[in-house]
Amino acid sequence: MAAGLAAPAFELEGITKRFGAVIANDAVDLRVAAGEIRGLVGENGAGKTTLMGVLYGMHRPDGGTIRVAGRTRRFDSPLDAIRAGLGMVHQHFMLFDSLTVAENVVFGSEPARGGVFDLAAARRRVARLAERYGLEVDPDSRVGRLPVGVRQRVEILKALYRRAEILILDEPTAVLTPGEQSALFEVLRRLAAEGAAVVFISHKLREVLELCHRATVLRGGRVTGTVETARTTADELSRLMVGKKVVAPQVPVHELGATVLGVESLEVRGRHGRSALHGLDLTVRSGEIVGVAGVAGNGQSELAEAVAGLRPPAAGRVLIGGADLTHAPIALRRRAGLAYVPEDRDGTGLAVAASVAENLLMGFEGEPRLAPRGVLDAEAIDARARGVVERYAIQVSHVRDPAATLSGGNRQKLVVGRELLRDARLLVVEQPTRGVDLSSIEVIHRALGDFSAAGGAVLLISSELNELMTLADRIVVMYGGRLVGELERDNASEERLGLLMAGAA
Amino acid sequence: MRPWRTALAGLEGPLVAVGGAVAAGALFMVATGHDPLAAYGAMITGALGGRGLGNLLATLLRAAPIVGMGLAAAVAFRAGFFNLGGEGQLVLGGLAGAVVALALPGGGLLTALLATLAALLAGGLWALAAAFFEIRFRVPLLVSTLLMNYPARLFASYLVNHPLRDVGSGLPQTERIAGGVELARLGAGGRLHLGVLVVAATVLAAAFVVRRTRVGYRMRMAGLNARFARAGGVDLDRLGYGVMFSSGALAGLVGAVQVLGVHHRFIDGSLTDPLWAWTGLMVALLCGSRPLGVLVAGLFFAAVQTGGFGMERATEVPRELSRVLQALIILFVAAQARFGFGGGEREGTG
Repeated sequence: MAAGLAAPAFELEGITKRFGAVIANDAVDLRVAAGEIRGLVGENGAGKTTLMGVLYGMHRPDGGTIRVAGRTRRFDSPLDAIRAGLGMVHQHFMLFDSLTVAENVVFGSEPARGGVFDLAAARRRVARLAERYGLEVDPDSRVGRLPVGVRQRVEILKALYRRAEILILDEPTAVLTPGEQSALFEVLRRLAAEGAAVVFISHKLREVLELCHRATVLRGGRVTGTVETARTTADELSRLMVGKKVVAPQVPVHELGATVLGVESLEVRGRHGRSALHGLDLTVRSGEIVGVAGVAGNGQSELAEAVAGLRPPAAGRVLIGGADLTHAPIALRRRAGLAYVPEDRDGTGLAVAASVAENLLMGFEGEPRLAPRGVLDAEAIDARARGVVERYAIQVSHVRDPAATLSGGNRQKLVVGRELLRDARLLVVEQPTRGVDLSSIEVIHRALGDFSAAGGAVLLISSELNELMTLADRIVVMYGGRLVGELERDNASEERLGLLMAGAA
Repeated sequence: MRPWRTALAGLEGPLVAVGGAVAAGALFMVATGHDPLAAYGAMITGALGGRGLGNLLATLLRAAPIVGMGLAAAVAFRAGFFNLGGEGQLVLGGLAGAVVALALPGGGLLTALLATLAALLAGGLWALAAAFFEIRFRVPLLVSTLLMNYPARLFASYLVNHPLRDVGSGLPQTERIAGGVELARLGAGGRLHLGVLVVAATVLAAAFVVRRTRVGYRMRMAGLNARFARAGGVDLDRLGYGVMFSSGALAGLVGAVQVLGVHHRFIDGSLTDPLWAWTGLMVALLCGSRPLGVLVAGLFFAAVQTGGFGMERATEVPRELSRVLQALIILFVAAQARFGFGGGEREGTG
């Protein structure tokens, strides 16, 4: 790889950034050459996003210098950074749903004729740009109707349109199918071949090894190593990330018992009244983990919400422990033994402004032990919360601190910890480890395994095929609101799942 | 240490808002050739000192309906329900109180209690109707509560102009209620009445419910994130009915307190012209809907209003400045909610 020889596209030297007492970046050096794809890896809270935020003008560093193309720069806002040739694709896309692809791409520097927005020119330029980089997208589609993978292409186009020579992508594959992921990698390789510097933030080591020339590992705000990917292994990278060897979770062996969850001919309407589930049948037995694979938006969330009681089914039945709870209020489902870890952690799983203890109390406030005669017993509630915090190694200084002070992984452990406190027999869990660091993943996977080993039934919805293949006894695949396939764990492979997920089988 | 920290944590916003409004008010005065120090001095004297205890008592008397309406709004806001119908609920409460006090024979404490109960019911049921429309027909509370103020006001106005009019007085008002039904005066000669204590006690009770009870926990969580509460098993419909009834009943209580304690009859416009409900809304916004905060913020707004009279007498700065200050404070509060100045960094996954 010629990457090492080229001139640096940007250099960060001794970057230090503090948030209050927390040091997010501690004298970090990072040099990336033109034409190089650099992986930036590390656990949640290691300082990856903050470092790139500093480079992109979102955070003012407390120390250190930024040089772009050899010139020392000071960015007061992302606009400055964009002018200097930087582009960033965030985890949460910054697009206008109601505008077309072309309108989104040119937003901020629109072509104009006589002071009037020139839509035809915008469409032409966007189409040309898309073709040149192999980014398949229709300039006239409304962004709100596009799948996530295509929206990401729009974000990349936006950066390219503004002539970005340094492209930063924050966890870009978290939302993609295997197919979309390889398409993205193609695009990034082509960009690098044309001389762009690409920073690829991820904690999926396999992807980093596959795509990047080199990888820089951050831990606790410091660089613990920069390695050539051709000469390293996932093991070495994860050691650099967590400072110890990570043990893969044991595959639990289950005795399967009685049917706990029965879903019969379930029909659910999605948003805008469109049908999201078309007569779905599914059972989960005691001691069994059933994985649900599928590209986001094929009815998985609707299935989880219909079982959890957040979305009323149009037809069909939901049975928990044999009782028909199709239209039962949520409290009743909870009493029947339902635990639920929603996909939208901050929007449904937590009240982030409330304290850790208050978040752990939700659904348990009716217990006389915690609220005798309707009056909260603060001592008992805090003590109970401290127990959960300890068991799941949740990093928080005090259980009265707001959940918003926790990192993503710790928030997820908070939700999982609360739901598994129940005397539950069914756990519906969506994306249990999305955006979660390695050590938290370990804790969460072990908790799911323990729950099923103790006879619990688990419906596991995940876009991480690895996760499904490690944990689930069998994997069903959803496409267009239907089950289109089912594979035993031993028969499941990424290729077969990928084909089913694409609706090709 | 920690309780102090959390108690103080919420205070920066309101203090910045008040400070900003005072500074902006000072600029107005300088620009129009007045001395802000003298004006604010006169305002403070006019609110708290002077005339023996007269000014302070006037402030307390004014604070009762403001705090009461602030509490009514805060109870609903805290649980995430937008009750903008305080005015209608207040009027119907006052009207029901007056009607029961006049209709029942005898008078005395029992009548006063029954009149108050009627006021609670009238205000509560009016708010409950709005909750019903939202829960059953998805009519947004924001709209229904606001619009339901008009029929309530006009209905009361019709009654006291026609069937219930005290013809002898020549004014649109009911007859005077019997002396025994009036709320007891606190201290001889003053205008301060028992209702002020009733409002204060209600605030303390509400603070206890919101902070320390199961129902209060559900309210707070629903207010912070309704979807979270729902997924956890909280019955939001039931909570909505309960909260809206309570909120409306509190507004009705204020109506009874004013009618039985101050006016001793229902006078057309007497509950709406002073804008109690709207000032109460501002109070709830300023203090983030915390019941004890309502007490502080309500006293503060009452002080600004009574102080405005003192300021006008002493310095020729018109008392409308009080209203301007109130509006500025809310503008600053709104700006903080929108732009989050002083808000912390959002943490990412890096």
